Amino acid sequence: MTSFALLCPKCKAPLAEGVLNLSDLTPCTVCAAPLQVEIFPAFFRRMAAGRDGDLVLVEGESTCFYHPQKKAALPCEGCGRFLCALCDCELHGQHFCPACLEVGRKKGKIKSLENQRTLYDSIALSLALLPLLIFYLTFITAPAALFIAIRYWKAPRSLVHRSQIRLVLAMIFASLQIFGWATALYFMKAR
Amino acid sequence: MAAREYHRLTRARPRARFALISAGSTSLWLGKDHLLSIDSTGYTESYKRFYFRDIQAFFLRKTEGQKWVGLILAVLVGLFFFPAALGEGPVRIVFGTGAAIFLLAFLLNLALGPACSCQLRTAVQVEELPSLVRIRRARKILERLRPLISAAQGELRREDIPLRFQEWSHGPIADTAAIPRSVVEDPNAPPRTI
Repeated sequence: MTSFALLCPKCKAPLAEGVLNLSDLTPCTVCAAPLQVEIFPAFFRRMAAGRDGDLVLVEGESTCFYHPQKKAALPCEGCGRFLCALCDCELHGQHFCPACLEVGRKKGKIKSLENQRTLYDSIALSLALLPLLIFYLTFITAPAALFIAIRYWKAPRSLVHRSQIRLVLAMIFASLQIFGWATALYFMKAR
Repeated sequence: MAAREYHRLTRARPRARFALISAGSTSLWLGKDHLLSIDSTGYTESYKRFYFRDIQAFFLRKTEGQKWVGLILAVLVGLFFFPAALGEGPVRIVFGTGAAIFLLAFLLNLALGPACSCQLRTAVQVEELPSLVRIRRARKILERLRPLISAAQGELRREDIPLRFQEWSHGPIADTAAIPRSVVEDPNAPPRTI
Protein backbone atom coordinates (compact mmCIF):
# COMPACT_ATOMS: atom_id res chain seq x y z
CA MET A 1 0.00 0.00 0.00
CA THR A 2 1.72 3.18 -1.10
CA SER A 3 -1.22 5.41 -0.24
CA PHE A 4 -0.15 7.91 2.35
CA ALA A 5 -3.57 9.13 3.29
CA LEU A 6 -5.06 8.31 6.64
CA LEU A 7 -8.79 8.23 6.09
CA CYS A 8 -11.58 8.95 8.53
CA PRO A 9 -13.19 5.57 9.38
CA LYS A 10 -16.65 7.12 8.97
CA CYS A 11 -16.59 9.50 5.99
CA LYS A 12 -13.36 8.23 4.34
CA ALA A 13 -12.06 11.77 3.99
CA PRO A 14 -8.29 12.28 4.44
CA LEU A 15 -7.40 13.23 8.00
CA ALA A 16 -5.34 16.29 8.87
CA GLU A 17 -1.99 15.92 10.67
CA GLY A 18 -3.42 17.89 13.58
CA VAL A 19 -5.71 15.08 14.71
CA LEU A 20 -2.92 12.50 15.03
CA ASN A 21 -1.54 11.13 18.31
CA LEU A 22 -3.69 13.28 20.56
CA SER A 23 -4.66 11.89 23.93
CA ASP A 24 -8.34 12.80 23.52
CA LEU A 25 -11.09 12.58 20.94
CA THR A 26 -10.94 15.17 18.15
CA PRO A 27 -13.69 15.76 15.58
CA CYS A 28 -13.03 14.85 11.96
CA THR A 29 -12.80 18.08 9.96
CA VAL A 30 -15.34 16.79 7.41
CA CYS A 31 -17.97 14.68 9.25
CA ALA A 32 -17.24 15.81 12.83
CA ALA A 33 -17.09 12.19 14.04
CA PRO A 34 -15.10 12.14 17.31
CA LEU A 35 -11.83 10.33 16.58
CA GLN A 36 -8.64 9.33 18.28
CA VAL A 37 -5.95 8.30 15.80
CA GLU A 38 -2.58 7.03 16.91
CA ILE A 39 0.12 6.41 14.33
CA PHE A 40 3.37 4.52 14.85
CA PRO A 41 6.78 4.66 13.11
CA ALA A 42 5.80 1.74 10.83
CA PHE A 43 3.44 4.17 9.13
CA PHE A 44 6.44 5.95 7.60
CA ARG A 45 8.30 2.78 6.73
CA ARG A 46 8.45 2.05 3.04
CA MET A 47 8.00 -1.48 1.84
CA ALA A 48 11.27 -2.99 0.64
CA ALA A 49 11.34 -3.94 -3.02
CA GLY A 50 11.31 -7.69 -3.60
CA ARG A 51 14.41 -9.45 -4.91
CA ASP A 52 14.33 -11.68 -7.94
CA GLY A 53 17.64 -13.53 -7.45
CA ASP A 54 20.97 -13.10 -9.23
CA LEU A 55 21.80 -15.09 -12.34
CA VAL A 56 24.65 -17.62 -12.28
CA LEU A 57 27.74 -16.06 -13.88
CA VAL A 58 30.46 -18.57 -12.98
CA GLU A 59 30.13 -22.23 -13.90
CA GLY A 60 30.08 -24.52 -10.85
CA GLU A 61 28.38 -22.02 -8.61
CA SER A 62 25.65 -23.33 -6.34
CA THR A 63 22.24 -22.80 -7.89
CA CYS A 64 18.70 -22.59 -6.65
CA PHE A 65 16.85 -25.93 -6.51
CA TYR A 66 13.78 -24.39 -8.14
CA HIS A 67 15.58 -22.02 -10.55
CA PRO A 68 18.75 -23.70 -11.89
CA GLN A 69 19.77 -20.52 -13.71
CA LYS A 70 19.86 -18.47 -10.48
CA LYS A 71 22.47 -18.30 -7.75
CA ALA A 72 21.73 -19.98 -4.46
CA ALA A 73 21.47 -17.44 -1.69
CA LEU A 74 20.94 -19.73 1.30
CA PRO A 75 19.65 -23.19 2.24
CA CYS A 76 16.06 -23.92 3.31
CA GLU A 77 15.97 -24.63 7.04
CA GLY A 78 13.25 -27.20 6.49
CA CYS A 79 14.62 -29.41 3.73
CA GLY A 80 18.14 -28.07 3.16
CA ARG A 81 17.61 -27.29 -0.52
CA PHE A 82 19.50 -24.31 -1.92
CA LEU A 83 17.30 -21.32 -2.61
CA CYS A 84 17.69 -18.14 -4.62
CA ALA A 85 16.52 -14.82 -3.23
CA LEU A 86 13.21 -15.21 -5.06
CA CYS A 87 12.40 -18.56 -3.40
CA ASP A 88 13.58 -17.53 0.06
CA CYS A 89 10.61 -17.06 2.40
CA GLU A 90 11.69 -15.54 5.68
CA LEU A 91 9.61 -16.24 8.74
CA HIS A 92 10.70 -14.93 12.14
CA GLY A 93 14.38 -15.07 11.17
CA GLN A 94 14.15 -18.55 9.65
CA HIS A 95 14.40 -19.19 5.92
CA PHE A 96 12.16 -21.71 4.16
CA CYS A 97 11.37 -22.72 0.61
CA PRO A 98 7.74 -22.22 -0.52
CA ALA A 99 7.12 -26.00 -0.43
CA CYS A 100 8.25 -26.36 3.21
CA LEU A 101 6.22 -23.32 4.15
CA GLU A 102 3.10 -24.80 2.56
CA VAL A 103 3.66 -28.21 4.19
CA GLY A 104 4.30 -26.52 7.54
CA ARG A 105 1.09 -24.53 7.23
CA LYS A 106 -1.04 -27.52 6.20
CA LYS A 107 0.31 -29.86 8.86
CA GLY A 108 0.28 -27.18 11.55
CA LYS A 109 4.02 -27.54 12.11
CA ILE A 110 4.59 -23.79 11.84
CA LYS A 111 2.30 -22.46 14.52
CA SER A 112 2.51 -18.84 13.47
CA LEU A 113 1.05 -19.72 10.04
CA GLU A 114 -1.97 -21.50 11.44
CA ASN A 115 -5.04 -19.45 10.70
CA GLN A 116 -7.81 -21.88 11.54
CA ARG A 117 -8.55 -24.67 13.99
CA THR A 118 -11.49 -26.97 14.49
CA LEU A 119 -12.64 -27.22 18.10
CA TYR A 120 -13.36 -30.94 18.38
CA ASP A 121 -13.91 -30.62 22.14
CA SER A 122 -16.83 -28.22 21.56
CA ILE A 123 -18.24 -30.45 18.82
CA ALA A 124 -18.09 -33.52 21.09
CA LEU A 125 -19.72 -31.68 24.00
CA SER A 126 -22.49 -30.25 21.82
CA LEU A 127 -23.11 -33.67 20.34
CA ALA A 128 -23.36 -35.11 23.85
CA LEU A 129 -25.66 -32.42 25.26
CA LEU A 130 -27.83 -30.74 22.61
CA PRO A 131 -29.61 -33.88 21.37
CA LEU A 132 -30.94 -34.43 24.91
CA LEU A 133 -33.72 -32.04 23.88
CA ILE A 134 -34.97 -34.72 21.48
CA PHE A 135 -33.97 -37.76 23.50
CA TYR A 136 -34.29 -40.37 20.72
CA LEU A 137 -31.46 -38.69 18.80
CA THR A 138 -29.00 -39.65 21.53
CA PHE A 139 -29.13 -43.25 20.28
CA ILE A 140 -26.95 -42.06 17.38
CA THR A 141 -25.28 -38.95 18.78
CA ALA A 142 -23.96 -40.44 22.05
CA PRO A 143 -21.68 -42.99 20.30
CA ALA A 144 -20.69 -40.27 17.83
CA ALA A 145 -19.75 -37.89 20.69
CA LEU A 146 -17.77 -40.64 22.40
CA PHE A 147 -15.97 -41.46 19.15
CA ILE A 148 -15.03 -37.82 18.54
CA ALA A 149 -13.84 -37.38 22.14
CA ILE A 150 -11.56 -40.44 21.88
CA ARG A 151 -10.44 -39.88 18.28
CA TYR A 152 -9.48 -36.23 18.85
CA TRP A 153 -8.22 -36.53 22.44
CA LYS A 154 -4.76 -35.42 21.37
CA ALA A 155 -5.82 -33.07 18.55
CA PRO A 156 -4.75 -29.44 19.06
CA ARG A 157 -7.46 -27.42 20.73
CA SER A 158 -7.85 -23.65 20.61
CA LEU A 159 -4.67 -21.65 20.09
CA VAL A 160 -5.38 -19.82 23.33
CA HIS A 161 -5.28 -21.77 26.57
CA ARG A 162 -8.03 -24.36 26.85
CA SER A 163 -8.30 -27.41 29.08
CA GLN A 164 -9.62 -30.87 28.19
CA ILE A 165 -12.68 -30.45 30.39
CA ARG A 166 -15.06 -30.36 27.40
CA LEU A 167 -13.76 -33.67 26.12
CA VAL A 168 -14.00 -35.22 29.59
CA LEU A 169 -17.58 -33.97 30.04
CA ALA A 170 -18.52 -35.16 26.54
CA MET A 171 -17.19 -38.63 27.36
CA ILE A 172 -19.05 -38.75 30.68
CA PHE A 173 -22.40 -37.61 29.21
CA ALA A 174 -22.06 -39.81 26.13
CA SER A 175 -21.16 -42.85 28.28
CA LEU A 176 -24.16 -42.22 30.55
CA GLN A 177 -26.47 -42.00 27.54
CA ILE A 178 -25.08 -45.20 26.05
CA PHE A 179 -25.45 -46.92 29.41
CA GLY A 180 -29.04 -45.67 29.62
CA TRP A 181 -29.86 -47.00 26.16
CA ALA A 182 -28.19 -50.35 26.90
CA THR A 183 -30.17 -50.71 30.13
CA ALA A 184 -33.43 -49.76 28.43
CA LEU A 185 -32.83 -52.23 25.60
CA TYR A 186 -31.92 -54.98 28.08
CA PHE A 187 -35.16 -54.55 30.05
CA MET A 188 -37.24 -54.31 26.89
CA LYS A 189 -35.76 -57.59 25.70
CA ALA A 190 -36.18 -59.23 29.10
CA ARG A 191 -39.85 -58.20 29.22
CA MET B 1 3.21 -24.85 34.95
CA ALA B 2 4.20 -23.36 31.59
CA ALA B 3 3.58 -19.66 31.06
CA ARG B 4 0.55 -18.87 28.99
CA GLU B 5 1.31 -17.92 25.42
CA TYR B 6 -1.63 -15.53 25.13
CA HIS B 7 -3.32 -13.18 27.57
CA ARG B 8 -6.92 -12.20 27.12
CA LEU B 9 -7.54 -8.55 26.25
CA THR B 10 -11.27 -8.66 25.53
CA ARG B 11 -14.06 -11.12 26.17
CA ALA B 12 -15.64 -12.86 23.19
CA ARG B 13 -18.24 -10.53 21.71
CA PRO B 14 -20.88 -11.34 19.10
CA ARG B 15 -19.79 -10.43 15.60
CA ALA B 16 -23.20 -9.00 14.72
CA ARG B 17 -24.28 -6.41 17.27
CA PHE B 18 -28.00 -7.23 17.41
CA ALA B 19 -27.84 -10.92 16.52
CA LEU B 20 -30.50 -12.90 18.36
CA ILE B 21 -29.06 -16.25 17.37
CA SER B 22 -25.28 -16.10 17.71
CA ALA B 23 -23.47 -15.51 14.43
CA GLY B 24 -20.10 -16.17 16.01
CA SER B 25 -17.90 -14.10 18.25
CA THR B 26 -14.58 -12.31 18.20
CA SER B 27 -12.02 -11.74 20.91
CA LEU B 28 -8.61 -10.13 21.21
CA TRP B 29 -5.53 -11.71 22.80
CA LEU B 30 -2.05 -10.45 23.53
CA GLY B 31 0.88 -12.57 22.40
CA LYS B 32 4.61 -12.13 22.86
CA ASP B 33 5.16 -10.17 19.66
CA HIS B 34 1.70 -9.83 18.22
CA LEU B 35 -1.97 -9.17 18.78
CA LEU B 36 -4.23 -12.13 18.02
CA SER B 37 -7.80 -11.64 16.86
CA ILE B 38 -9.93 -14.78 17.14
CA ASP B 39 -13.08 -15.13 15.10
CA SER B 40 -15.02 -18.08 16.46
CA THR B 41 -18.16 -19.87 15.30
CA GLY B 42 -18.16 -22.03 18.42
CA TYR B 43 -16.82 -25.03 16.52
CA THR B 44 -14.04 -23.43 14.49
CA GLU B 45 -11.67 -20.57 15.16
CA SER B 46 -10.01 -18.28 12.62
CA TYR B 47 -6.92 -16.39 13.64
CA LYS B 48 -5.51 -13.06 12.54
CA ARG B 49 -2.14 -11.95 13.85
CA PHE B 50 -1.04 -8.33 13.93
CA TYR B 51 2.65 -8.16 14.68
CA PHE B 52 3.72 -5.16 16.73
CA ARG B 53 6.40 -4.27 14.17
CA ASP B 54 3.72 -4.02 11.44
CA ILE B 55 1.03 -1.96 13.16
CA GLN B 56 0.89 1.45 11.49
CA ALA B 57 -2.09 3.10 13.10
CA PHE B 58 -4.90 2.61 15.55
CA PHE B 59 -8.25 4.34 14.99
CA LEU B 60 -10.85 4.85 17.67
CA ARG B 61 -14.19 6.44 16.74
CA LYS B 62 -16.85 7.31 19.26
CA THR B 63 -20.26 5.95 18.25
CA GLU B 64 -23.81 6.44 19.46
CA GLY B 65 -24.16 2.79 20.49
CA GLN B 66 -24.39 3.47 24.22
CA LYS B 67 -27.17 6.05 23.73
CA TRP B 68 -29.29 3.76 21.55
CA VAL B 69 -28.85 0.74 23.80
CA GLY B 70 -29.61 2.94 26.82
CA LEU B 71 -32.76 4.27 25.15
CA ILE B 72 -34.03 0.79 24.27
CA LEU B 73 -33.34 -0.48 27.79
CA ALA B 74 -35.04 2.56 29.35
CA VAL B 75 -38.17 1.91 27.24
CA LEU B 76 -38.14 -1.76 28.30
CA VAL B 77 -37.76 -0.78 31.96
CA GLY B 78 -40.80 1.51 31.55
CA LEU B 79 -42.84 -1.16 29.78
CA PHE B 80 -42.19 -3.66 32.56
CA PHE B 81 -42.35 -1.23 35.47
CA PHE B 82 -45.90 0.08 34.99
CA PRO B 83 -47.67 -3.33 34.87
CA ALA B 84 -45.55 -4.30 37.91
CA ALA B 85 -46.60 -1.16 39.78
CA LEU B 86 -50.28 -1.46 38.87
CA GLY B 87 -50.65 -5.27 38.99
CA GLU B 88 -50.87 -7.64 41.92
CA GLY B 89 -49.67 -11.11 42.82
CA PRO B 90 -47.85 -13.09 40.07
CA VAL B 91 -48.20 -10.24 37.52
CA ARG B 92 -46.30 -7.93 39.84
CA ILE B 93 -43.59 -10.56 40.44
CA VAL B 94 -43.11 -11.41 36.73
CA PHE B 95 -43.08 -7.82 35.47
CA GLY B 96 -41.11 -6.61 38.49
CA THR B 97 -38.40 -9.17 37.80
CA GLY B 98 -38.31 -8.13 34.14
CA ALA B 99 -38.06 -4.43 35.08
CA ALA B 100 -35.25 -5.19 37.56
CA ILE B 101 -33.27 -7.14 34.93
CA PHE B 102 -33.60 -4.37 32.33
CA LEU B 103 -32.76 -1.72 34.94
CA LEU B 104 -29.61 -3.64 35.82
CA ALA B 105 -28.67 -3.85 32.12
CA PHE B 106 -29.38 -0.11 31.76
CA LEU B 107 -27.10 0.74 34.69
CA LEU B 108 -24.40 -1.60 33.38
CA ASN B 109 -24.57 0.08 29.99
CA LEU B 110 -24.13 3.46 31.71
CA ALA B 111 -21.24 2.20 33.81
CA LEU B 112 -19.35 0.80 30.81
CA GLY B 113 -19.16 4.27 29.30
CA PRO B 114 -19.40 5.56 25.71
CA ALA B 115 -19.27 3.12 22.81
CA CYS B 116 -16.75 3.14 20.01
CA SER B 117 -15.54 1.27 16.96
CA CYS B 118 -11.86 0.50 16.51
CA GLN B 119 -9.68 -0.17 13.51
CA LEU B 120 -6.11 -1.24 13.16
CA ARG B 121 -4.01 -0.39 10.10
CA THR B 122 -1.01 -2.25 8.76
CA ALA B 123 0.78 -1.85 5.42
CA VAL B 124 -1.65 -4.18 3.69
CA GLN B 125 -4.97 -3.98 5.55
CA VAL B 126 -7.32 -1.93 7.66
CA GLU B 127 -8.94 -4.33 10.10
CA GLU B 128 -12.03 -3.67 12.17
CA LEU B 129 -11.75 -4.86 15.79
CA PRO B 130 -15.35 -5.73 16.70
CA SER B 131 -14.42 -6.94 20.17
CA LEU B 132 -13.46 -3.40 21.20
CA VAL B 133 -16.73 -1.55 21.67
CA ARG B 134 -16.16 0.75 24.64
CA ILE B 135 -13.83 3.74 24.65
CA ARG B 136 -12.54 3.12 28.16
CA ARG B 137 -11.59 -0.48 27.40
CA ALA B 138 -10.08 0.46 24.01
CA ARG B 139 -7.90 3.12 25.64
CA LYS B 140 -6.74 0.71 28.32
CA ILE B 141 -5.70 -1.75 25.63
CA LEU B 142 -4.00 0.99 23.61
CA GLU B 143 -2.08 1.99 26.75
CA ARG B 144 -0.97 -1.62 27.12
CA LEU B 145 0.00 -1.95 23.47
CA ARG B 146 1.85 1.36 23.11
CA PRO B 147 5.06 0.32 24.92
CA LEU B 148 5.10 -3.03 23.11
CA ILE B 149 4.74 -1.33 19.72
CA SER B 150 7.36 1.26 20.69
CA ALA B 151 9.74 -1.53 21.69
CA ALA B 152 9.28 -3.13 18.27
CA GLN B 153 9.29 0.04 16.14
CA GLY B 154 10.76 2.86 18.20
CA GLU B 155 9.17 6.01 19.58
CA LEU B 156 7.18 8.51 17.53
CA ARG B 157 6.64 11.77 19.36
CA ARG B 158 3.75 13.99 18.36
CA GLU B 159 6.04 16.94 17.57
CA ASP B 160 8.04 14.74 15.17
CA ILE B 161 5.05 13.84 13.02
CA PRO B 162 5.11 16.90 10.66
CA LEU B 163 8.84 16.35 10.07
CA ARG B 164 8.31 12.64 9.36
CA PHE B 165 5.57 13.52 6.87
CA GLN B 166 7.94 15.94 5.14
CA GLU B 167 10.74 13.38 5.05
CA TRP B 168 8.41 10.77 3.71
CA SER B 169 7.21 12.90 0.83
CA HIS B 170 10.80 13.79 -0.20
CA GLY B 171 12.51 10.52 0.73
CA PRO B 172 13.76 7.62 -1.43
CA ILE B 173 11.23 5.33 -3.08
CA ALA B 174 12.42 2.14 -1.38
CA ASP B 175 14.59 1.34 1.56
CA THR B 176 17.20 -0.64 -0.34
CA ALA B 177 19.57 -0.71 2.62
CA ALA B 178 17.20 -3.06 4.38
CA ILE B 179 17.45 -5.70 1.65
CA PRO B 180 19.87 -8.49 2.59
CA ARG B 181 22.75 -9.19 0.18
CA SER B 182 24.63 -12.42 -0.35
CA VAL B 183 28.34 -13.05 -0.86
CA VAL B 184 29.78 -16.11 -2.65
CA GLU B 185 32.95 -17.21 -0.89
CA ASP B 186 32.99 -20.82 -2.02
CA PRO B 187 31.30 -21.83 -5.31
CA ASN B 188 30.34 -25.21 -3.81
CA ALA B 189 28.73 -23.77 -0.72
CA PRO B 190 25.65 -21.59 -0.50
CA PRO B 191 26.43 -17.88 -0.47
CA ARG B 192 26.54 -16.12 2.88
CA THR B 193 23.78 -13.59 3.54
CA ILE B 194 25.00 -10.23 4.85
